[in-house]
Amino acid sequence: MGEATFMKAGNSSLPASEMNFAVCAKALVKWYKNTESPALDDFNLDVQQGEFFGLLGPNGAGKTTAISILTGLFPPDSGIVQIMGMGFREKQKEIKQILGLVPQNIGLYDKLTARENLTFFGKLCGIRGANLAESIQQGLVFARLTEHALQPVGTFSTGMKRRLNLAVGLLNAPQLLVLDEPCVGIDAQSRHLIHAQLKDLNQRGTTILYTTHYIEEARELCSRIGIIDNGRIVEQGTPAALLQQSGMSNLEELFLHLTGKELRDA
Amino acid sequence: MFLGYLTVMMKIFATTAKELLLLLRDRTGLLVLFLMPAILVVVITLVQENVMELTGQKKTQVLLLDLDQGELGELLRKQLEKGNLEFVVWDEKRHDVADIQAAVADGGYQVGIVIPRDASSRFKKETARLFQQGKGAENKNIGTISLDLFVDPGIMAGLRSGVTAQLQMAVTAIALEAKLTMLSRSLQQTMNRRGAPREINPLDEDKLSALSRQSLLTFTESQGGSRAAGLFLFNPVQQNVPAWALFGMFFTAIPIAGSILQERSSGIWIRLTALPVSPLVLFFGKALAYIGVCLCQFLLIVLIGAFLFPYIGLPSFTISMNLPAVLFTVLFSSFAACGYGIFLGIACTSYEQASTLGATSVVAAAAIGGVMVPVYAMPHMMQRISIISPLNWGLTAFQDLLLRGYSLSAVLGDLGRLFLFFVVTVVLSWEIARRRQ
Repeated sequence: MGEATFMKAGNSSLPASEMNFAVCAKALVKWYKNTESPALDDFNLDVQQGEFFGLLGPNGAGKTTAISILTGLFPPDSGIVQIMGMGFREKQKEIKQILGLVPQNIGLYDKLTARENLTFFGKLCGIRGANLAESIQQGLVFARLTEHALQPVGTFSTGMKRRLNLAVGLLNAPQLLVLDEPCVGIDAQSRHLIHAQLKDLNQRGTTILYTTHYIEEARELCSRIGIIDNGRIVEQGTPAALLQQSGMSNLEELFLHLTGKELRDA
Repeated sequence: MFLGYLTVMMKIFATTAKELLLLLRDRTGLLVLFLMPAILVVVITLVQENVMELTGQKKTQVLLLDLDQGELGELLRKQLEKGNLEFVVWDEKRHDVADIQAAVADGGYQVGIVIPRDASSRFKKETARLFQQGKGAENKNIGTISLDLFVDPGIMAGLRSGVTAQLQMAVTAIALEAKLTMLSRSLQQTMNRRGAPREINPLDEDKLSALSRQSLLTFTESQGGSRAAGLFLFNPVQQNVPAWALFGMFFTAIPIAGSILQERSSGIWIRLTALPVSPLVLFFGKALAYIGVCLCQFLLIVLIGAFLFPYIGLPSFTISMNLPAVLFTVLFSSFAACGYGIFLGIACTSYEQASTLGATSVVAAAAIGGVMVPVYAMPHMMQRISIISPLNWGLTAFQDLLLRGYSLSAVLGDLGRLFLFFVVTVVLSWEIARRRQ
């Protein structure tokens, strides 16, 4: 991870046989303590390399649990996860080198400036010297924060924080970028910018796994969508195919049909 | 291999640099980290100044009301002022026994002495009668001249015993000198009657005073098992400076825990977990930053002890030997403090929990470790419990180096325990974080 890496993702050195699926999850089950039902229950997911996959679900459906397991934050109770053909038990370090995570909560230090945040996380990714400086500069440009580079993140608006949150997730030029509701609470302008940048990244070869509960957002961005409810994928396919199969007129109608109209306050 | 090592070191130093930046930006928190032990060491040392009296390093004031105005008062003052008592003489025309009794009972003075009227003449008379009895005169009870002694009921037993022993020794010496004088006169009279020359009198009255004070048998204090010269007597400064510096160092556990909990409650911890970096690297990086803080804390407290204390009437703190060993002790104590902070940050689920548990446990460990009250002054059971406190290990090492003059090799056991505590707390934190995942 020595060279300047920002936004250069997409070219893997893995053998072609292991390159088919960026994410392959089989029969994942996860229980949390003191709960009556599993957070994930026979969860199956395949995301092909280069795909922009949207994981769509209501609150408490299991999106964040699925993301956490797929990024190795914690293991499932049972089931198999492979990232680019590698399992976390054997190749955790290698997977982390090619994985980028943008957490739902802003993962930045408020008291550090944008540049200091990028520097710290860049160094933890193993980027050094001139490459680090270049990656930081590219990150600031990507997040449109060049003029605010020396400003503490605590003074940023939510949109600025979200953009920087995304830029930090891209520092190691991940082949697989996992985003957990990255556009929550931001204005239309920042959302538009993030969407455009994500599309651009995907077009340049980065596989993206994107969770959201905004149906319109999923329709606009994703080449394929998986609808998750009660810890399992209840339907998946391209937006057009899903609508055609179900006979529904729009995705929201399909979503409510699949997940029900009951409030999800849990 | 080398590149891997270099990468790990870079990640540790990146974490340290980040942590120091965060600390520098939190000026209030930083101020508290340095101000708290600084205030504590000054206040506690000033409050404990009377410990100097208890340990004989400061004179105890004795109120004297001499209603007699004879030579007994003068003799008593001469005898006692050689020791650790300082007289405050009240005018006998303006005060009476009730006044002195009230002054002592109120705690204004610890000790009060009243020499009754005619005490000197009665003392002389009774001494003379003693020798008349010795010469075969009629056996009559010899009157004892009683001086009134008032002692503050609130003072510690040790001080009471010390003062009364000094008073008893003084009156015994005065009585002995009087007896010798009387004996000399009696001997001279007998020799005169027998026509013996004055020179052969072994009790020359002019030399009796010096003779009676000549010590023939005494205790010489030696420094037990100490292995170095230039030792310092125990005093509150030599005790409090390392003790409260140690307390301050262990209090850094709370900001360390706070910084970890802040990372855990935001998305930072999730991001860090997803990065190709071991939690151990993050822990070491964080610990390194706070070890720097602990070293600065210790330096500040030492500077206060060395340069501020003399200005506020306290003895100066001195480290004239074993400086490297002292620095090692600071370093290993800092390791232990940081390890505990990391453990709190991982084991607790909220900052409120960590700050309450951290503060309570550090104060308790300081109390049982001998920071507030020396371990030897504790009940036997507490003395046995004190060995479980990391602050006790640190404090014992400091005292061995600063008071007993031991070398580094003598404190290796305590330093080893402190480092082991760091290793155990960090490994436990790692395991908890892993299990929580």
